[in-house]
This record gives sequence, C-alpha cells and structure tokens, in this order.
Amino acid sequence: MSNQTITPSLEPLPPGNKPSRHTFDLVESLGKLARVQVFQIVLVLAAICLVFSIMAPGSFPEWGNIRQIIQNVSILAVLGIGMTFVIVTSGIDLSVGSVLVFSGVVSAKTMAAIGGDGWGVAAIGIVVALFCGLCWGLLNGFLIGKANVPPLIVTLGTLGGALGLSQVITGGVDIRDVPPVLVDTIGYGNFPATTVPLISSIALVLVVIFGIVLHRTKFGLYTFAVGSKEQSARRVGIKVDMHLVKVYALSGTLAGLAGILSLSQYGTTAIAGQSQTNLNVIAAVVIGGTSLFGGIGTMFGTVVGLFIPAVLQNGFVIVGVQPFWQQVAVGAVLIAAVYFDQRRRDAASRGQSPNSLKKLWSRGT
Amino acid sequence: MITSRTAVVALSVASASAMFLAGCSSNSGSGDGSGKLAFIQGVSGDEFYISMQCGIEAAAEAAGVTVDTQGPVKFDPTLQKPIVDSVVASRPSAILIAPTDVAAMQAPLAAAANAGIKVVLVDTTIEDPSIAVSAISSDNKGGGAEAFNAIAQLNPSGGKVLVISTDPGISTADARVAGFEEAVAANSAFDYLGVQYSHNDPAEAARLVSAALAKDPDIVGIFAANTFAAEGTATGVRQAGKQDQVKIVGFDAGPAQVKQLREGTVQALIAQQPDTIGTDGVEQAMAAIDDKPVTADISTGFHVITAENIDGDGAQYVYKSSC
Repeated sequence: MSNQTITPSLEPLPPGNKPSRHTFDLVESLGKLARVQVFQIVLVLAAICLVFSIMAPGSFPEWGNIRQIIQNVSILAVLGIGMTFVIVTSGIDLSVGSVLVFSGVVSAKTMAAIGGDGWGVAAIGIVVALFCGLCWGLLNGFLIGKANVPPLIVTLGTLGGALGLSQVITGGVDIRDVPPVLVDTIGYGNFPATTVPLISSIALVLVVIFGIVLHRTKFGLYTFAVGSKEQSARRVGIKVDMHLVKVYALSGTLAGLAGILSLSQYGTTAIAGQSQTNLNVIAAVVIGGTSLFGGIGTMFGTVVGLFIPAVLQNGFVIVGVQPFWQQVAVGAVLIAAVYFDQRRRDAASRGQSPNSLKKLWSRGT
Repeated sequence: MITSRTAVVALSVASASAMFLAGCSSNSGSGDGSGKLAFIQGVSGDEFYISMQCGIEAAAEAAGVTVDTQGPVKFDPTLQKPIVDSVVASRPSAILIAPTDVAAMQAPLAAAANAGIKVVLVDTTIEDPSIAVSAISSDNKGGGAEAFNAIAQLNPSGGKVLVISTDPGISTADARVAGFEEAVAANSAFDYLGVQYSHNDPAEAARLVSAALAKDPDIVGIFAANTFAAEGTATGVRQAGKQDQVKIVGFDAGPAQVKQLREGTVQALIAQQPDTIGTDGVEQAMAAIDDKPVTADISTGFHVITAENIDGDGAQYVYKSSC
C-alpha cells in the first residue's frame, strides 16, 4: 500500500491529448483518454443518460428535468468538495450531514431571534452557519490531527454530537422561520438572466475554486502528500497535523455553507432528514475515482460521481421503476468503482507506476 | 486490446442493467401523460402507505388509468424532493402525495401545480394547501374521540383516564389529544388527568405511566397516541401490576400494533382508513382532470379493532403489507 506518487495526478484531460490532425494520433489520444478512470466514469454517466433518453425521449432529456437534477445535486456537491479533500488525505468525514443540520439549526435560531426578512439578517445567518461548520471542522481536525484518534471514530462521534445538540436546541421540532429572501434567491432563484439555478451556480463556482486549490496549489499538493504516505510527508517537512486540521476545517465550513443552502432550499431545518447525506457524498466521491486509501482523487470525478446516482434515480422514477432498484444500481456502481481502484493499487504495489495506465489496464489479475 | 474490451464490457453491463431494470417497470413511461397518475408515499415500505397504495391502485384500475408509485426510503424531505422533481418531469396528469414536510415540499409541489399537474394531498399536508385540488386526511380529532369511546366501552363505570402522546407540536398527535379531551369533557363519569409527552421513547412513557399510577392508583384507561407510547405505557402498567385494571388504547393498525393487540399489550386499536384516503384521492384527481367540481378537504373515519373483532370484521381494517 505504499508506492504512490504524490503528484496530483489523474487530471480529467491530461495535457497532450489535444486531437491531432493525423487520424492515427487522434485514435491513440482517444485510446489514452478512455483509460483514465475519470473518463470511464464520464462514459458510464453518458451511457446512463443515453439509455434514459431513448426510453423517455419526451421527458428525460428536457432542460427542465436536467435543471432539477442539477439543482438537487448542488448541496451534495458543496459537501463533496470537502469530502474529496478529506478522502484524499485517506481520512473520512461522517459528520457532514449532522454538521449541516446543526449549522442550519443555529443559523435559523439566530435569524429568528434577530427577526426581519431582509438580506441583513440573512447575511448574519450565513456567517453563523459558516462559523458553526468551522467549529465542528476544527474539532474534528484537532482530534484527528493532534490527538491521533482515527477519523472514522472522531467523525462518528461528532455525527452523533452535532445531531444530538441540534435536537437539544430545538427540542426536536423543526424551525421553519427562514427569511423569504433566502428561499426566493438561493433556494429557488436563478442566476440572473439565465435558467440556471443560483444554488447550482454557487456550487459550481466553489467546485472550480477548490478544484484549482486541490490540483494546482501547494495546499492541494500537501493534501495528496499526506494521503499518499504520511511518514514521507512528515520527512519532507510538511506539518501533517496542522494540514489535517485545515482539511477537516474546510470540510466542516463547507458543511456549514451547505446548511444555509439546505435551509434556503427546503425552508426548514429538516432535523430528521439528511440521515443518508454523509454516505451519499462518500459514495459519490468514491465513484468519482478518489481512493479511500488516500493519495488519489480529482474534484471533477467527484462531480461526475454525484451525477450518477442522481441521474439513475431521476431516470428510474421517470420510467417508473420501483424506487428500491435505484439503491441496488448505485451500490453496484460503487463496488465497481472501488474494484477498479483496488486493481490500480495492486498494480502499483507490483512496481508499476500508477500513472502508467496503459500497462495497468492491459494487465490481467 | 484488453483495455478497451474492459471498458466496452463495463459500458454494456451498465446499459444492459439499466435496460433490464427499466424493463421491470409496470408501464412503458413513454412520457405520454394522458391517463397516468403518480403516487408519492411519505416513506416506502410502510404498511400505512402500502394500504393507501392498494386503495389508489384499485380506484385507478376502476377509472381506467395507470398509477406509478414512488417513495423515499425514509420519511425525509431531502430524499422526497428529488423524487417529486423527477415525477413532475415524467408529466403525469395528477400526483397524489403524502408530503414529508409542510415547508420543504411547498415549492416543489407548487412547481408541479404550475406545470399543469393536479396535486392531491393525502394524509399529510403543506403550508399552503391551496395549490392542491384536494386534501384528504383522517379526521384525527374524531380519532381521539373514538379512542375515548373505546376506553368508555372497556370501562362502562367510568374512572380516571390519561393520555400519553409523543411530542408537542405534531399536528396530527395534537388533534388526536384535542379530540380525546373534548370527548372526555362531555362524559361526567370520567376524570381526565391530562396529557404527558413521551418524546417517542418507550422508557420515558413507562416512567410517566409509573409516576401517574403512583399518584393515581385508580386509573382505568390510557390512550397511547402512537406505537412507542403504547409499548412504554404497557411496560409502566405491568411494572405497577395493574394490567387487569388499566385499559390501553393504541393508534394505527400496522403489524407492530396488531401484535401488541394480540399479545394483550393494548386492548383496542384506533385504525385509520388509508385505503379510503387513497380511493378518495383518485376520485378527486380524476374529477380535477375532467374539470369536474372537487372537494377541497375530505376527512376520513376510523375503525376500532379489539381482540374480539381482530379475526372477524376488524381484520379488513388492519394495514396491509401487500395488496
């Protein structure tokens, strides 16, 4: 489990893959492209979309429907950003759904206490939600980075803690006093002059920013380094403890933001809801090609990984398949994704470079 | 090349399974919305909603339309909203839905109504039900009164009665308690001791009942507003050794509640009529589609199930686990 490089590798489109004028080069480039795992996930998504478009041509491929899918994926995407960072460090964050609920609850309570429906109170609510998320993230980070408690245990604890405190604060009764400006703009509004949901625009901007942070900055490089081999990262002078604190703080803060997005979208704190959110996000990150063992992953993959379950569910509902089948299908995709990840790792541990995907894929097990 | 073969195989498997699963569907789903209804449950796999689905399917068949049933795996608005959005995209003529949250489901259902789909609310409701053509639910107040009548029948001579509810602020539970209170106030033979909240915790309900029995050892009847309250109430009564004296009346008639009745944990159940809610829902939806007059609010009734009628005419009111 060791021979991984610390490069932020596996870009969705590696340089040098520009289609050439020569057909031979083009074929070869496309061949290379097809072997990158992220691209294979894109192909799976495209195939699913194609199947549903053929089966329900009048309803599935419509913009109105696609828009709804994008809107419903947005909150998970914001959580997925933080989760990608966390999983790349070979950690896990089970607490995101509960931190989302907690941040939403405290934010809603604060906004209700101040009163008013304007942007002023909404802005305070947003700041409060982000702060709550940051606090939980820092708690996770310090326990994992400094106290060396395994992430699974720490975040399982904060999962219960954040949800329990939300119930303590509210007595278990949902708060539904959300300023209408939030619901009308962030929740259900569109980006000005388009029909793109504003909530999705926010998610997209964050995905792009943190995609750049992960793949193009020192912070991102350190994240991969910590996840590839913690010891080596320490020896080359990376402050691994502090880096983990920062990564979990990022995940927590994004969960806080997701809390305000959820409040805007649903108009309620939905305390009993979000119970599956953490697992859905982790599944999406893993389907997107990020390795649970750390050191490998892309932001783009996470986004594609989010769309596979969302499109499957949407398509199944439209063509009228029993809802239970959706879980079966997502489960199968998840296991397939981890199987391919494991094969890649096995090949790497036999001395092949994990970036030499051609060798990897052409080798039988 | 093995590489591309792997990719091709993976893709074909993915497409084939999607095709196969889609092939399992009950209708072709061609996007043609004429004569197609959709039923969105509050949670899938729950006997209350399955019984409702049975009523809906029977009524839809009688009306000559098809119905597709979908539901989230948990009673959770964050899981139900994507399903509603997808159902709207499939453009049925009408949606029958049990919303999981009064606030969260408002906007998605308003969008459905704006898209020209007739919305019928079954069982639960939303903040502004005016976007729906009809809202059908049990008359929970009447259910509370029915619960008191059951206690009165089990204790013809009267006595002290208590209510164990779940949490304050749950509209259906509050209405049941209010109905019980009104009924008990109208009967001078009974002495109402008030309502206690068990927070859905059987242990808490047991503690409440033990304390109540210590204070008033002559309690003759307890109305437990849900399953957990009934479990805890029975425990508390057993701990006090008063199971022959205290009659417990529970709410709903799912398998868990029927088991309690058969075991003697509770002496009577107040069963809602989910199948009637479903049948009425289809009737209202069809009327709305045909531009006929609709009834905005419909309340359905209750049946009392006891150990005497559970194997007789009470059996048909037990919630079904399949149609």
